[in-house]
Amino acid sequence: MAPLARPPSPHRVRATPAFRPSALVVPGRTPLAQSRPRELWLAIHLPSLLLDSLRDVALALPGRPPVAIVDLERNGRIVRACAEAVHAAGVREGMSINAALALVPGLHALARDARRERQLLEAVAQRGVRFTPRVSLEPPDGVLFEVRGSLRLFGGARQLCLRLQHELLEALGASVRFAITPSPLAALWFARTGPLGARPVFVRNRDELASRLASLPLGCTRWPERSIEVLGTMGVRTVGECLRLPRDGFARRFGQELLATLDRATGRVQEPRAAYAASERFAARRDLEPEIADTARLGLALAPLLEELCQFLRERGRGVQVIEVQLRHRAAPVTRVRLRFVQPVGAQPRRMAELLRERLARLVLPQPVRNVRLLSGPLLDLQAAAIELFAHDRREAGGNLLQLVERLRARLGNDAVHGLACVPEHRPEAAWCAVEPAATKPKARKQVPSRSAAPDESSPSVPLPLRWERSAARPDDGRPLWLLDRPEPCDVDRLVLEEGPECIESGWWDGHDVARDYYVARNPQGARLWVFRQRRETAASARWFLHGWFA
Amino acid sequence: MSVAVEQLLQQNSARLWRARETGSSTAAAVPAGLPTGYAALDRCLPGAGWPRQGLIEILADQRGIGELRLLLPALAALCRDEGAADEGYPPPRPDHAGSAMPSHDRGSGGWIAWVSPPYCPYAPSLAAWGIDVGRMLVVNGAGATEWAMDQALRSESCSAVLGWSNPRDPHALRRLQLAAEASRSLAVLYRPLQAGLTHSPAVLRLALLGGGAEGLQVRIVKSRGGRPATVNLGH
Repeated sequence: MAPLARPPSPHRVRATPAFRPSALVVPGRTPLAQSRPRELWLAIHLPSLLLDSLRDVALALPGRPPVAIVDLERNGRIVRACAEAVHAAGVREGMSINAALALVPGLHALARDARRERQLLEAVAQRGVRFTPRVSLEPPDGVLFEVRGSLRLFGGARQLCLRLQHELLEALGASVRFAITPSPLAALWFARTGPLGARPVFVRNRDELASRLASLPLGCTRWPERSIEVLGTMGVRTVGECLRLPRDGFARRFGQELLATLDRATGRVQEPRAAYAASERFAARRDLEPEIADTARLGLALAPLLEELCQFLRERGRGVQVIEVQLRHRAAPVTRVRLRFVQPVGAQPRRMAELLRERLARLVLPQPVRNVRLLSGPLLDLQAAAIELFAHDRREAGGNLLQLVERLRARLGNDAVHGLACVPEHRPEAAWCAVEPAATKPKARKQVPSRSAAPDESSPSVPLPLRWERSAARPDDGRPLWLLDRPEPCDVDRLVLEEGPECIESGWWDGHDVARDYYVARNPQGARLWVFRQRRETAASARWFLHGWFA
Repeated sequence: MSVAVEQLLQQNSARLWRARETGSSTAAAVPAGLPTGYAALDRCLPGAGWPRQGLIEILADQRGIGELRLLLPALAALCRDEGAADEGYPPPRPDHAGSAMPSHDRGSGGWIAWVSPPYCPYAPSLAAWGIDVGRMLVVNGAGATEWAMDQALRSESCSAVLGWSNPRDPHALRRLQLAAEASRSLAVLYRPLQAGLTHSPAVLRLALLGGGAEGLQVRIVKSRGGRPATVNLGH
């Protein structure tokens, strides 16, 4: 029976290629190429994930009592993690909360929060997006970065780890352990066992893996408790001892699954990792101490959050079109401020701040603000800004329009600004629609707010009615320049009907059918009006409506 | 005359208005305007058209007397110019015939902003006038009309900015006039007739009267570099 891997005899740790067992050589690759693996995985293990995820909660407790994290899901209320001081007092993981309270009377129990744990893990992963495109999550408490390509850029493994460690501790308050090895699983195992703050384990060559792994206790593999127990009774307590067991026997006894993890850890089998897709939204919050009551200072308080958002966008090379600011008060309901950009906006903190300032200036706060949140809408691809050699005013002007629309909307509201488009329709009120300005192809944004809604797309489109010929060369004849949103009842007695009737009868298909006789009328002041009479009513009882002005 | 004034006169700046030079002799002092499309009106305006810089006030109380029609030929011309400039790239070299309309080739975005109009401008009708409906920007600037106009003028993306408001604050008018002066856009403010009694910094103020048998009557209340006059534009 072949051993699982090379025996971990110390004198063979740095074996020359000639001594390498042929089983580990992948066909078609030279031994030299194989010793320099294509991948190097940096594993980040968060040993105190539970505590770190609830750190801000613990810090907010009055008097800062010693804390322990308990599992509420199980009835036992088992201590899952505890602060260092509490640990020193004798409280251990797996202890019941009552026993812990007996040891530390002032202990404050916090329920673990799986959502926060996941968030912290994702936050770590998101930091990594800057260092490498290949990030993979290993729930509940591990993250993997593939750093083969970026090691040199960031000044070597040691520099990279220092930098990451510093950053994660600063930004997230997470203490972490690292290991770098050619196989992701081995990196995780090393990271789980290494002491906190020690130099990270760094295994550069794949053929070193088995020997370096040998001394690790089996606990780091996170195999089922039962299997580890059984192995323990057999005197197998380290990975190395496990590797020495016969393969087929091991597989029969403990299942193919465990054998496969060993193979992956030693690099015998490549392990494909699912790439982590960064969260598609940004959310950040900030507590304000003291509370802020005036909007100008609120703008300043939001600046760091905007900066964070821009960093978030910069790392991804993407943009947002909508951002929302939530202002929380002591008692009043949350005030929401939504900013909408005409185009996806990348990392432009100034532009956002300017727009936000404009918007906040108009805001009346019901109460002082004690907490602000900044949320982004979905991330969008930025339109590649074409830099033209002969860039010309006009193109700039197009950009100006977008900014103009944005500024106007920030102050007046989203619905206050729109463009126009014609719709081929008989009914006058349905013959136009409001569109998004600057859309290259007019696309209906909302239907005409009038008594007769514009037809939906399935309705047949009807060409505009033929206008009668008139001698005067006034192109607007037949249609007014101002159209009232809703026809207004009017008194026709003092009007002189000059032209008409023009019968418009249409729209039976969508329930907003009209049957009207339109006339061009002139009032005593000399103004020209567009009036109509309902056709379905008898001439005597017919009411008249004003529908437009020939301005 | 002092040397400084002499120098100033020699610069022959477009902004310098010489009270002595009115009527036909102002052609040099007043830059060419944008033809209104109404020959009778063009004849009475210095620059033979709408002034391209500075605020234009149109004072009217009634709707439907032709207050919009007064502007439409000029707006249509602006749209046409923008369209023509869009087609050719690089922009066609302005020849001598085209030099009557300066600064078109520089393009100011070609949008027409309608700020707080009393009703929505009817797109099919505008299209019938030859206006590019796709370049209209309708803004409901309730309570902030002057601000919105100011923003539109400053953004340099609009070739015309029309606003409906009656600013009570003389400073607001002044700011608007300064923005219009600095911008290349046509800036038009519609106000009620009553406003004609108070002073305004606008470069051109027209009072519109309808109702008579002769149709729309345009009274030039104030015209920088021109003279008060009354024009009948018919129905």
